[in-house]
Amino acid sequence: MKTEEEFDLCYEDELGYCNVKLVALGGDGANTIGKLLFKIAVDKLDLDGAFDAQYGSEKKGTPTDVSIRLCKLGRPVRTSGTLSTPHILAIMREQLIEPMRLNVGLQPKATVIVNTTENPAAIRDRLQLADGKIICLDATRIAAEARSRINIPVFGLLIQVLGFPDQAAREMLSATWPKVSEANLKAYEGITSAQFQDFPYDGKYKHLPYSKPQGGVIGYLTQRPGGVLINALNSSYGKTHGASRTGQMPLFNPDACIHCVKCYYACSDPGSIVFANGKMMGIDYDYCKGCNRCVMVCPDTKNGKALTKVLEADYAEVVLANEAASYKNIRKAS
Amino acid sequence: MSEKAYSVIDRAIEQKVCIGGGNLAAAEAIAAIGYELEGFYPITPSSDVGEEISARVARGEVDMVFVPATSELAAISICAGGAMAGARVVDATSAQGLLLKMEELPAISGLRIPMVLNLATRTVSAPLNIKNDHSDLMSILGMGWLILLAKSVQEVYDMNIVALKWAEQVQLPCVVAYDGFHTSHGARRFQIFADNRIVRDFIGPKPPRDLYIDFDHPKTFGAYMNDDLINNKYQLHLAMQDAYRLLPVIFQEYAKISGRRYSMVGTVGMEDHPPVAMLILNSAAHASEDAVDRIKASGRSVGLVSMSLLRPFPADELADALSGVRTLMVADRADEYGAYRSYLANEIGALLQARHNPARILNRVYGLGGLNFSFHDAVELYDQALSADQGEAVADFDYYGHWEGDPEQQILTPPKAPAPIVEKTDISLNEKLGARMNVSVMKTIASEMPNRIDKTSACPGCGAFLNLEMVLKGIDGQVALVYNTGCAEITSSGFPFTSFKVPYAHNLFHNGSSTASGIVAYYEWLKKHGRVDRDMTLLVVGGDGSGDIGMDQLIGAAIRNHPFIYLEYDNNIYANTGAQLCYTGFKGMMTATSRVGKAQVGKTFHSKDMVEILRGTHAPYIATVCESHYEDAVMKAREAQETVRNGGFAFLKAFSTCPLNWGTKGEDGPIVARTMVETCMFPLLKIVHGITTLTYNPEALGKKRPVTDMVPLMGVASAHLLKPEYADVVADLQQEVDRRWTRLKAMHESPVL
Repeated sequence: MKTEEEFDLCYEDELGYCNVKLVALGGDGANTIGKLLFKIAVDKLDLDGAFDAQYGSEKKGTPTDVSIRLCKLGRPVRTSGTLSTPHILAIMREQLIEPMRLNVGLQPKATVIVNTTENPAAIRDRLQLADGKIICLDATRIAAEARSRINIPVFGLLIQVLGFPDQAAREMLSATWPKVSEANLKAYEGITSAQFQDFPYDGKYKHLPYSKPQGGVIGYLTQRPGGVLINALNSSYGKTHGASRTGQMPLFNPDACIHCVKCYYACSDPGSIVFANGKMMGIDYDYCKGCNRCVMVCPDTKNGKALTKVLEADYAEVVLANEAASYKNIRKAS
Repeated sequence: MSEKAYSVIDRAIEQKVCIGGGNLAAAEAIAAIGYELEGFYPITPSSDVGEEISARVARGEVDMVFVPATSELAAISICAGGAMAGARVVDATSAQGLLLKMEELPAISGLRIPMVLNLATRTVSAPLNIKNDHSDLMSILGMGWLILLAKSVQEVYDMNIVALKWAEQVQLPCVVAYDGFHTSHGARRFQIFADNRIVRDFIGPKPPRDLYIDFDHPKTFGAYMNDDLINNKYQLHLAMQDAYRLLPVIFQEYAKISGRRYSMVGTVGMEDHPPVAMLILNSAAHASEDAVDRIKASGRSVGLVSMSLLRPFPADELADALSGVRTLMVADRADEYGAYRSYLANEIGALLQARHNPARILNRVYGLGGLNFSFHDAVELYDQALSADQGEAVADFDYYGHWEGDPEQQILTPPKAPAPIVEKTDISLNEKLGARMNVSVMKTIASEMPNRIDKTSACPGCGAFLNLEMVLKGIDGQVALVYNTGCAEITSSGFPFTSFKVPYAHNLFHNGSSTASGIVAYYEWLKKHGRVDRDMTLLVVGGDGSGDIGMDQLIGAAIRNHPFIYLEYDNNIYANTGAQLCYTGFKGMMTATSRVGKAQVGKTFHSKDMVEILRGTHAPYIATVCESHYEDAVMKAREAQETVRNGGFAFLKAFSTCPLNWGTKGEDGPIVARTMVETCMFPLLKIVHGITTLTYNPEALGKKRPVTDMVPLMGVASAHLLKPEYADVVADLQQEVDRRWTRLKAMHESPVL
């Protein structure tokens, strides 16, 4: 199918591309909706461009991004690799805003879509956006209610921002996932709850143009021969797995615990379940990725289950306090 | 001059738009050509080529033999066999996959077997890195293979079609090389022929050659040769010369059907005879075209030269293209360490000298390990060349894109306190805990046994570290770890961080067991000479994939009875490379290379029984463990350690959950694991000096369940087997599970079996 008239893209950079970037966790489906957007652009709108993703050793739950460059057909597409200067940025996990410094490289007057329960003004401050438009959407809730996935409402907003035909998007969703078409269309339609706000340039935050990263901390002067790491100096100990949790997590109720130790041996991220002096002390949320295997094996006692699956958003203070971690230190001290 | 004449062909042959990456383009070409056999072993980033073909074979759309092999060497040797028998064969690989095939590459060219090998270029490890550069490609320059290059997704498709015709005409094998990820995975709009017959007509019938399957005229292949070998090689040299003459003809014929005209050397901006030019290959050459436009727009004149082939070397066309150049930037995506310059620069230098071209050559090594090369980078390299051309001091050779690092800043763990090493290395903890396993002991272990591993980036719900932790809970004293490449490896030591608190080494793919042999054998020698006195328990960790490709090395270590524990975490699938078939998977299982369709129902053969394979090594301790029976697992880990302390080899196989590749929820792992044990698909047993003991007998407890109880649990890997039309596959699976279980029961009953 070809359109009658040439489709006009809402943004264009020096090479003639409209740059769209999706930031997500592995497993969120950013790759899939990126490909769908590209397919609509090529098949339905007779555009050209490029779809590239961040590839590496990334597993489910680790930050990843997807780049879509769109341009008029006839412009030779010669680029490769991910893009760093988006016009349209979709942030599927708001916890990635700060660690990934997502304001760096954003084009002036960019459009930013964020999956969040916060409002555009709050997100603007978190993102330190110089100017542009922020669209906030609780995609997690929309997806849960529709029994769909968070990528679908985000896809809906991208279609809207790019001005792509709504019908083509719906058809693409139905054709791609025929079995869950109804749920996906419900999630797709859920974007009516999105909040839009424009932020003209007011000097509050500066544009931070992309500059080629200077590499990591360790360079050729300091890398040990063979890339050897000193375990004590280069430990993953200082990291946190918090960003890998996708909304749900186990919560520990010591009153119901019979210290049966089943959770300890069912945990896929050893270090999460803290045992000291033969007793279950709780969950170290720096380790826990929220798979909830421990909840699955936790026995039902007369006081209920000691481990239950909860929404992380409802227990943010428990995660922040992360009391169980302190028992590890006590154990070490003793 | 070599290029520029892009003529539009009068009679357009119908083509259709396709969207995808270079791997899809290669698969489209393979399907269109009508190959008869593909040997396959997965390696990122080339795996999708085989996955796509295997899916089409399963759906009945492509009629060819698809053989998932146990290694890259096996895969290409399967290709060699098929081709000797007369088949049109194709393969795909990357990086060390190519190096593992290396043994067979000169055999194939020396035996004059035509075939095509797609190479999604990737850096050669170590350090392990899955991304792009040309260090794999450049290592095969002298192997007697034709080498075509593809800068873009479209070119991957086109060059694949050209490659087979060319290879068959001159009876030589041909590599089609395109950049891993940049080209293999970046989705682009490209064109394919609407009708496969166009492609098949273009390639034509197989030219006659000597074939193995010819019982009327039996022939001998692979004869041993002494002095005559030099003549074989001279023929190879002549065949390369023929190939050099033939390629332009094939390119021209291909232009007629496709409308896309290729030449051996491609140029941009060279028609203005610029004094400064750059020679660069593949995706980076493509990106550099944007740079040429930009620099031209700023009023300066530069040119770009790239190549469509590396072997044979297009000397005349290059000499022609570079004839007016004063300063030439040669950008190499690989370093020929210790050579005068890197690969391309040396070859170009020799050419220019022979053609009396006095151009100055600058050589830059760029883009190693996948560092992206954008048009900005091309502009920077041009700037360097322009400066040199203006007489400024610019180094002849350098790297581009590397960085110094800050000598002041090396500790990475703050703001938290320095990481603990290991809290305790009490070598008698197990002794103190006593021989009995119960909840109390398990709790004490959970509290007292040190954690040897810190945070990892494994998927939520992954079984790898769960199993490792469970096994390590049975092992006291000083632990040392050796990993094969795999999920557990890649998620635990992403530079510059490490998850390990104990000595740890990763060695490639399948070499862990031999690496461990070297370590423990030397440690024994040190002990013998009184130079060390500390106890050490070395544990090798490998997935089920490294137990396929590394089967021989594992068996070797077991037979040598080298004192270490080998732990295989088995999730029935090649999880790290993208869910391809593993030999440990059950019959009927769906994977990325054993699809379900009208022509195939998942995996076509029963699971590899690694325990029974190792039984034949008569290793002193062989056991299976599962998280559902963690007390049993911890006990077996203790026994394995005891075996090692007594100087023997121990093998532990753990069932491991993989939510990512089965498409299951992370929290469902415990149920899948228990069901695997209770269906006897993963029986719990130990073989101690040949005596088999079933450590859990669900049948005796009235808990043995049919395999149909497992089928709904393993997500997309098994869900299709619920369909009534696959009842025969399930029945076959049940029969095989029961056959093996019955034998195990008999062995359990009798110490002499």
